[in-house]
Amino acid sequence: MSPEAPLLSRRSFLRTGSAAALGLTVAGCGFLPEDPAAHGDPEAPIDVRVDGDLIYFNWADFVDPAVFKGFEKEYGVKVIQSNFDSMEGMAAKLNAGNRYDLIFPTAKWAERLVSGHRLRRIDHSRLKNADAVFGHYDYFADPWYDKASAHTVPFTMYKTGIGWRKDQIGDNLTGSWDDLWNARAKGKVFVLDDRDEVLGIGALKLGLDLTTADEGDLGRITGTLQSLRPHLRGFSSDSYNNLLNGNAAMTQAWSGDMAAMLGQAKDPSILGFEVAREGAPVNSDCYAIPSNARHPGTAMLFIDYMLRPENVKKNIEYIGYPMPVGGSEDTYAAIVEPFPECLVTAGDLKDDFFFRNGTSRGEQARDTAWTHVKAG
Amino acid sequence: MALRKRPEEPRPRSGPSASGTRLWTWLMIPGTLWMTGFLIASLLLVATLAFGTTDPLGNPRFGLNFENIAAMTDPAYRAVLLRSLGYALLTCLICLVVAYPVAYAIALHGGRFKNLLIAAIVVPFFANYLVRMYGWSVVLSDDGPLLKVLRAVGLADSDTKILQTGMGVIAGLVYGFIVFMIIPLYAALERMDVSLIEAGRDLYGGPLRTFFFVTLPATRQGAMAGCVLVLLPAMGDFVSAQLMGGPDQIMIGNLIQDKFFQGQNWPLGSALTMLMMAVLFIGMLGYLRRTRKDEAEATR
Repeated sequence: MSPEAPLLSRRSFLRTGSAAALGLTVAGCGFLPEDPAAHGDPEAPIDVRVDGDLIYFNWADFVDPAVFKGFEKEYGVKVIQSNFDSMEGMAAKLNAGNRYDLIFPTAKWAERLVSGHRLRRIDHSRLKNADAVFGHYDYFADPWYDKASAHTVPFTMYKTGIGWRKDQIGDNLTGSWDDLWNARAKGKVFVLDDRDEVLGIGALKLGLDLTTADEGDLGRITGTLQSLRPHLRGFSSDSYNNLLNGNAAMTQAWSGDMAAMLGQAKDPSILGFEVAREGAPVNSDCYAIPSNARHPGTAMLFIDYMLRPENVKKNIEYIGYPMPVGGSEDTYAAIVEPFPECLVTAGDLKDDFFFRNGTSRGEQARDTAWTHVKAG
Repeated sequence: MALRKRPEEPRPRSGPSASGTRLWTWLMIPGTLWMTGFLIASLLLVATLAFGTTDPLGNPRFGLNFENIAAMTDPAYRAVLLRSLGYALLTCLICLVVAYPVAYAIALHGGRFKNLLIAAIVVPFFANYLVRMYGWSVVLSDDGPLLKVLRAVGLADSDTKILQTGMGVIAGLVYGFIVFMIIPLYAALERMDVSLIEAGRDLYGGPLRTFFFVTLPATRQGAMAGCVLVLLPAMGDFVSAQLMGGPDQIMIGNLIQDKFFQGQNWPLGSALTMLMMAVLFIGMLGYLRRTRKDEAEATR
């Protein structure tokens, strides 16, 4: 049975229908509200034991299939996979009442879910391999998005930079976001189809707060990005194909995509990747167990299993993203040897160029700025 | 004993028997209820949410807030809406011009291959729309097969591009929705009385005059139905502009998608959806008035 489409009982159908009808008639009430308390105490410790098959919800292709097979064989359970294509899509599925055992929010979304009491507490002392993370990466012992990492365990890390075609632009750029305005790339520049990432270019170039919601700041950012429009060929998060099929001479790109390209390009030497000195947005995906998970014990076992050194190595080699697990650094460094800037160091984390959550009004202001940047 | 003639029973309005008609009426009920209930429920949800707000977690909340309506006065939305309408109308026109000869050839000259030819057009349409559009974007890419051929025969130079241009977006829209034009046109041509064409010829009308004064008016209903079927999805499409458009080809569907999936601003996305539906509703009203007039003329 697909975890995305649980069988709808008559009772749940009526309950959902009533909630929708109530939502329509009572002004100011929530949208398909779900009471987290209905699923037990999210702070209660989880017994690390097999308590059912694992219902897993992540980006597509983000774990080596061999790792899944090993887990299924060792613990005699099935991993029932389901994928999302955006954090908003993931949140919408959770809000609609879907029940997953393990999800993978980014830092910003982890903070939202924690503050909304949507995640179970994860007791690190019950995970045999947790020390490889928290004992080696101080940053994640008490990150801004989840105090003391009480509800999350970091999974991957990545940065945003500029990827380019050396055969079209040349071997070296200047190491600044200004490179997107490079005359040789005019008309063949892509930026990511992502609000925070694109507004981030303007903010970092102007030395402003990465996720500013100040109207004046946003006006300056919009103006800066408008000046990039003549150079732009499109907004697209498919950096991988855009660079490889020649549509892009230069593109804003996530480090993980660039690392993946190294394994796929016929001639990787024609590709380059740089991180701007004004600052590079950094992000992290986390393991998290939703408060309504049916099998949290299996989810804890899976997290512990994923943190075993041999599995970390397999996953890093498979997805091309570094993981904050002590001892895995050499594995990733070997993969991205041509693009050392893909590495995410303790210094990068300390620079703290994370996208943060804003107020409702602030988010709307950023949204309007994004519309102006995109619609021109 | 003289046989008394039984009074004549009223004939069923259609179908072989009254009980058969009743059966069909009953069979229509679930579908009609389903469509009416869910269409109205979802439309109400979108319409109500247009006046909502977003909570600190990004979840939409119902309310009585007019900020989303006010936000739509932003000139950026007007420009994008007009562009979308222009692209959709142009797509309609190209579909009509390209689909008519195809439908004509199959309906009037397809012979025993008619069904096979229609299947050849319809079956590829069952492939996932996104996959077909990705494939199309590869065909039109700078290093793709189409531009390679055009360059080889001297019809394009190294700077020519199709992707990330308006031409690329319209090519995608035409490719995506042309089947919606072919099918109603084929149905209209198939239903048409071919003796009308012969009559036109008998009255010394040349092929062109016969086509414009006989065939085209006789199939006008099919063409109008095709235009509506193409215009509605083309106007709201976001895949074509996303995969084949550049920064100057953003369509209203892309902005609505952004509001729902990136900004998590469902209320503003709902307001934009209602705006787009209002524009399309005007077109639909015109279509309905025209078809009603045609029906009235036909029954006169």
